[in-house]
Amino acid sequence: MGVEGHVLLVEDDASIREVTTIGLTQAGLRVSAAADGRAALASWRAHPVQLIILDVMLPGLDGFEVCREIRRTSQVPILMLTARTDTIDVVVGLECGADDYLRKPFDLPELVARVRALLRRSTSPTTDTVLSVGRLEVDPGRFTASKDGRELALTATEFRLLVELARHPGRVFTRDVLLERVWSYSYLGDSRLVDVAVQRLRGKVEDDPAQPRMIRTVRGAGYKLTP
Amino acid sequence: MAAPRVAPGRVRRRLTVAFVLVAGMAAAVLAAGSYLTVRAAWFDASLAQATVDTRYQLVLAQQFLPLDEEHTSSLLTSFEGSGRHVVLVADTGIAASHPAYASVPGPAVRAEVAAGRLAFQRMSTRDGSHLLVVGGRIPGSAAELYVVQAEDRIYADLDQLRAVLLAGSALVVLLAALIGHVLARRTLSPVGRAGAAARAVAEGLLATRLPVGTRDEFGAWAESFNRMAEALEAKIAALSRAQARERRFTADVAHELRTPVTALVAAASLVRAHLDELPTDVRRPTELLVANVLRLRRLVDELMEISRLDAGREHVTVRPVDLGGLVDAILGSRGWSDRVAVTGTAPPIVTDPRRLERILSNVVANAVEHGGRDVRVAITSADGIVTVRVTDRGPGIPAAHLPHLFDRFYKADPARTGAGSGLGLAIARENARLLGADITVRTEPDAGTEFRITLPVAHPLPDGDATANAGADGGG
Repeated sequence: MGVEGHVLLVEDDASIREVTTIGLTQAGLRVSAAADGRAALASWRAHPVQLIILDVMLPGLDGFEVCREIRRTSQVPILMLTARTDTIDVVVGLECGADDYLRKPFDLPELVARVRALLRRSTSPTTDTVLSVGRLEVDPGRFTASKDGRELALTATEFRLLVELARHPGRVFTRDVLLERVWSYSYLGDSRLVDVAVQRLRGKVEDDPAQPRMIRTVRGAGYKLTP
Repeated sequence: MAAPRVAPGRVRRRLTVAFVLVAGMAAAVLAAGSYLTVRAAWFDASLAQATVDTRYQLVLAQQFLPLDEEHTSSLLTSFEGSGRHVVLVADTGIAASHPAYASVPGPAVRAEVAAGRLAFQRMSTRDGSHLLVVGGRIPGSAAELYVVQAEDRIYADLDQLRAVLLAGSALVVLLAALIGHVLARRTLSPVGRAGAAARAVAEGLLATRLPVGTRDEFGAWAESFNRMAEALEAKIAALSRAQARERRFTADVAHELRTPVTALVAAASLVRAHLDELPTDVRRPTELLVANVLRLRRLVDELMEISRLDAGREHVTVRPVDLGGLVDAILGSRGWSDRVAVTGTAPPIVTDPRRLERILSNVVANAVEHGGRDVRVAITSADGIVTVRVTDRGPGIPAAHLPHLFDRFYKADPARTGAGSGLGLAIARENARLLGADITVRTEPDAGTEFRITLPVAHPLPDGDATANAGADGGG
């Protein structure tokens, strides 16, 4: 499958950590593992990786805190593993800046598929043409986006979301379409992924995120980018 | 059990009426009694006075004897002059001192008088005045002298008395009605309060208590009621604590199982890829191991789902859903596309696709696992209701099992250990409840089973991707 990547797996349960490491390694990925939040942050600072798989339930520093800490300095793709019964976990995780999530127990092939989708998002350019919408300029080839000439710090997911919206300014994208194009979900993806990502993107793009002027919600339909 | 409808206030009215009747009767008897007593006393007094007077007048009349024409005339003039009306009955005829009082008593009285005794009669004249006539024989003659007195004054007084007594009685009845009403209300108000309290308890307000105000039967009753309500409240609290404990236990068990199961599932999927490379004598056991890990995983998943549903933590997020597309996606993802035929379409419905997926996939899974042959999904839409019928031509379900079909871990055939966890239909029903949908079953032995899912169709709102929970939508 050819996708090379270095992944940091943060999981406190030794069995899950070991067997997941084997699975990811067999899928052609390089895996570093950490058993708790502090070890994860130390490992991340010492050896930056291309993707982090982060369990929510960690001793000491929990997954949300680790995620927030990493997001302060980096836009690296983060995949959350949620174990709690609460759906609130998912929302909190996404609001911390995670790109995607998987519920435990997960299928190894599904984890591999999610990891690949995330890595693809952050590496493969979708098009080389520079897209210019109003005050925004998006360069898929160089993986950069700027507003009024000032560069924006976007995660891979936020960047891909902006690219999809910017390709057809004014067109309404349903959550399902965005789930498929950005997250590679073809079947019953969680629409909260889109909603939270849009919210975070607005936080970086809009002058006033509470009164969005560029990324508009179209009630009952989805989202659109207005020039 | 529905209580028979009672007309409130009936007992109150009855009590008031009884009170009024008793008071009214007492007032009537008292009034009539006193009227009659007073009447008799007044008449007696009037008669006694008249008798004394008549005796005296008879002695006076003696002075006019013998009663020739001149004497008779002067007797009449003299009596009339002293303010008395008299009637003189002598051999010469009947003579009255005043024409208005020329009343002669009947023969019974006259016979008495002829026998030398005083006698009286009460009479009324044609113009309506009441007269008392007392008479006797004038001593030393055969002539009879009757003294006539008007008793109109007594009658007028009696009339007035009667009017006063009647008005008094009416007032008593009115007062009785008023007091009776107030008393009945005050007496019955604890009953009303108790009724309201019992209804409140029945509606689930278990903290309802009655005020124990008085040291009487009602007070004792209120105390008993309160004790009952307390016992009930304590019992129900204990029951719901037990249920909450049980549910938390289920959630905890599922949660604790999740970590080892996650490791097992991941390991199983690694092993499964290399089954062919295993020596033959461990290959089959390994296959069983992998298969049962997947069963265990499904069971844990469903336990977690049902405990989330029990805890009310599953939210409904609705959006327009293409039902046909959803069914195709479910069949595709489960690998059932070749085994299940889909017919019919429906316009997009506004619902929660994840909940609907849980309903449809569990019902179809049940049909595929137990119904076996010829599973069909038919979608129809009419009158604002979309119906999905999932039919099979399997052995059918014995009637005895039907009421329990949606119970947790209920298996129609306990000997059969199918791939199902026993929670699928229970999960389908819980999700259906969240969506306001309905699942019904029809089955015929050896002919097959039909699960019918009816979904209410909410029309897409022009301004709403209406979400039942606080969606993470930025608005705009």
